[in-house]
Amino acid sequence: MRTPLARAIGLGSAKGGVHHWWMQRVSAIALVPLTVWFIAAIIAKTGADYTAFVAWMRNPITDILMGLLLIALFYHAALGLQVVVEDYVHSDVKFAAVIAIRLICFTLGAAGILATLRISLGP
Amino acid sequence: MASRSPSKSQKPLSPNIQLYRPQLTSVLSILNRLTGVLLSIAAIALVSWLLAAAAGQQAYAIVQGVFASWTGQVTLFGCTFAFFLHFFGGIRHLVWDTVHGFELRTIYMSGWAVVAASIVMTAVSWIVSVYMGR
Amino acid sequence: MIIESSKQVSRNHLFKRFPIPTNFGVTKDSRVNRGKAWPAPAGVTRTKSFEIYRYDPDSGRGPQVDTFEVDLDDCGPMVLDALIWIKNKVDSTLTFRRSCREGVCGSCAMNMDGTNWLACTRFISEMESPAKIYPLANMKIIKDLVPDQTHVFAQYAAIEPWLQSKTPTPERERRQSVEERGQIDGYYECILCFCCTSGCPSHWWNGNRFLGPAVLLQAWRWLTDSRDEAVEERLDKLEDPFRLYRCHTILNCTRTCPKGLNPGKAIAHIKKAMIERQR
Repeated sequence: MRTPLARAIGLGSAKGGVHHWWMQRVSAIALVPLTVWFIAAIIAKTGADYTAFVAWMRNPITDILMGLLLIALFYHAALGLQVVVEDYVHSDVKFAAVIAIRLICFTLGAAGILATLRISLGP
Repeated sequence: MASRSPSKSQKPLSPNIQLYRPQLTSVLSILNRLTGVLLSIAAIALVSWLLAAAAGQQAYAIVQGVFASWTGQVTLFGCTFAFFLHFFGGIRHLVWDTVHGFELRTIYMSGWAVVAASIVMTAVSWIVSVYMGR
Repeated sequence: MIIESSKQVSRNHLFKRFPIPTNFGVTKDSRVNRGKAWPAPAGVTRTKSFEIYRYDPDSGRGPQVDTFEVDLDDCGPMVLDALIWIKNKVDSTLTFRRSCREGVCGSCAMNMDGTNWLACTRFISEMESPAKIYPLANMKIIKDLVPDQTHVFAQYAAIEPWLQSKTPTPERERRQSVEERGQIDGYYECILCFCCTSGCPSHWWNGNRFLGPAVLLQAWRWLTDSRDEAVEERLDKLEDPFRLYRCHTILNCTRTCPKGLNPGKAIAHIKKAMIERQR
């Protein structure tokens, strides 16, 4: 028996949300040069064998850029997918899904960075 | 007044997505979202590729074999197109965030520019890649 | 291909609807069935077919689509004229809102050929054959083409659309320069027809919490009015992942506004203000 105004107000404003929006934009801006570098490098190295690939990865610049790419990429993906879930999922499953997305993106990002380090620092 | 007053739950909901006309605005927006989700899945492939390389030559060869297969190449081509759509669409979004480009004419011109740039860049990147691989 | 004004009707013939079934994902109460085909008037040369959404709450039946043949030589040029002709000459139970018949009151907002616009400013000659007339998208329907706007008006009330001041009321008028008054141009003209909100996919999926383009445009109208002194409280109330940030700049709103206003731009202004007050 709530009034229409009470239903529209709901639980009130969260008084927050701009940080998510801002970080999505910051990670997007970071991704512009990083993805351009990555695509260009992949195209340039088409057909390279394992040794050439490892040699490229051992280059410290590649290391740093790959690490930054993975951080920016998985942060941007986590934020974006969270918004997608919030848009379409309205039950309590939403909270579990958002947590799962954040944890999976963190794991994948960490795994990618560690793999990069392993290739470049390994024997 | 009618003898029975319809409660809120009885009023039917008018059609929305079943009826509303697809326009450049909504179509490009949903494509931006679809390509984003697709690229998130592709990112898993990226990490698997790095992990395989870290694991050694044999693991790397297996992953490279998957990428080189017919399905792998078609998927990569699709991912490239998805990437460029999301990339140029994302830049269009960043421009909007500076509160520029909101006139309808600009919205439509920038929208078609995103589609054209994505097609061109996908073609260019694959042509160059095939040339580099020779 | 390039739309310069929202007045231009969508012309593509390939892609009139998303390729999904007519009643996709729709609850039992909302399923649209085929309705009656009303007889054409006798001895008439120029007719046009109108497929119109009907719903009679007293009938016990669900919504349906009736087909009418309108005598174009006996009726005015606008879709609203056709609806009035049908109500006068064919079926007097056809129910719709209307008032000014000149595009300034917002009463006759409805979905015609898949896009939201005012019936009184849409030419019959611009419509497809058959013309499809449905109520505003994603609204609870009271009867025929009349949507229940209780919720969207409640959302409007929630943003407190009145001047709020903290300094004592001045002796005479609250002064405003020409430039300051110009800040509300493009926003004060909104007629609250809700064409934009009804066409926003984010409002379709999250309309209970997302305020929608019409309400957010009005929120900006008050934020940018130099005489208002409650900017901080207004921004606090708007800064919410659902109330404001469900907007993903889809821009169906700007495309459909029958007054040529730009809700997308207003929302971008609000988002910019949110950042500016942080840095």
